[in-house]
Amino acid sequence: MKVKIQFFASLSDYVRAKSVEMEISAKTIVATLKELFVKSYPKIAAAHKSIMAAVHRENDAGEQIIPMDAEIAFFFLVSGG
Amino acid sequence: MDYPTIISITEKELDLDALIAQVTLPSTGAAVMFSGIVRGITERGNAHETSFLEYEAYEPMAKAKMGQVAEEIRSRWQSVEGIAIVQRVGRLYPQTPTVLIVCTAAHRDTGVFDAARYGIDRLKEIVPIWKKEVSPGGEFWVEGEYIPKPGE
Repeated sequence: MKVKIQFFASLSDYVRAKSVEMEISAKTIVATLKELFVKSYPKIAAAHKSIMAAVHRENDAGEQIIPMDAEIAFFFLVSGG
Repeated sequence: MDYPTIISITEKELDLDALIAQVTLPSTGAAVMFSGIVRGITERGNAHETSFLEYEAYEPMAKAKMGQVAEEIRSRWQSVEGIAIVQRVGRLYPQTPTVLIVCTAAHRDTGVFDAARYGIDRLKEIVPIWKKEVSPGGEFWVEGEYIPKPGE
């Protein structure tokens, strides 16, 4: 299935895009998607562990199976206020 | 009783008086407001000047998390009546308010100071908003330190 990943702030700058679409198999977990993403963008490999993931607007540790039509976002630690 | 909760992300100038008025009730006798402001000159730590900050939000999630912060405040301080949490985004220059947290309560000795402090601390931990610092020497995205737990 195809998933869309949104990026924000510095991660968006790294990727030079606000979002990308990736093809994944059913039952792919978030951590695996993150690994696939990093393989596609090797220059952010060093920052791999700092990338946070959110699924349906909730922070995710990586173990969740990605549901169909999931709203997925990757970003670095927040700094607002 | 349903107390007012104002959650907003805006590119418009923050009207601090209007926001306080929205969370002021006949029963409130205290309003504690925290506002973050763009600091043009930083002396603590790595001293530097700031030309402007650029704020970006993952807006749907940010609004949900701001609502979560408000719920957390209410669960900790039942005395809090009105809550406003408002973040401004876009390019903001020194001496400009960037964020506003207001908590109101019947009296000042009800924990309302702590509630507002908790609100800004929590916003900076879990609400997906980022700021890019632009100075005469270059620019960089400021990165936070807090790693939210799943579902947090």
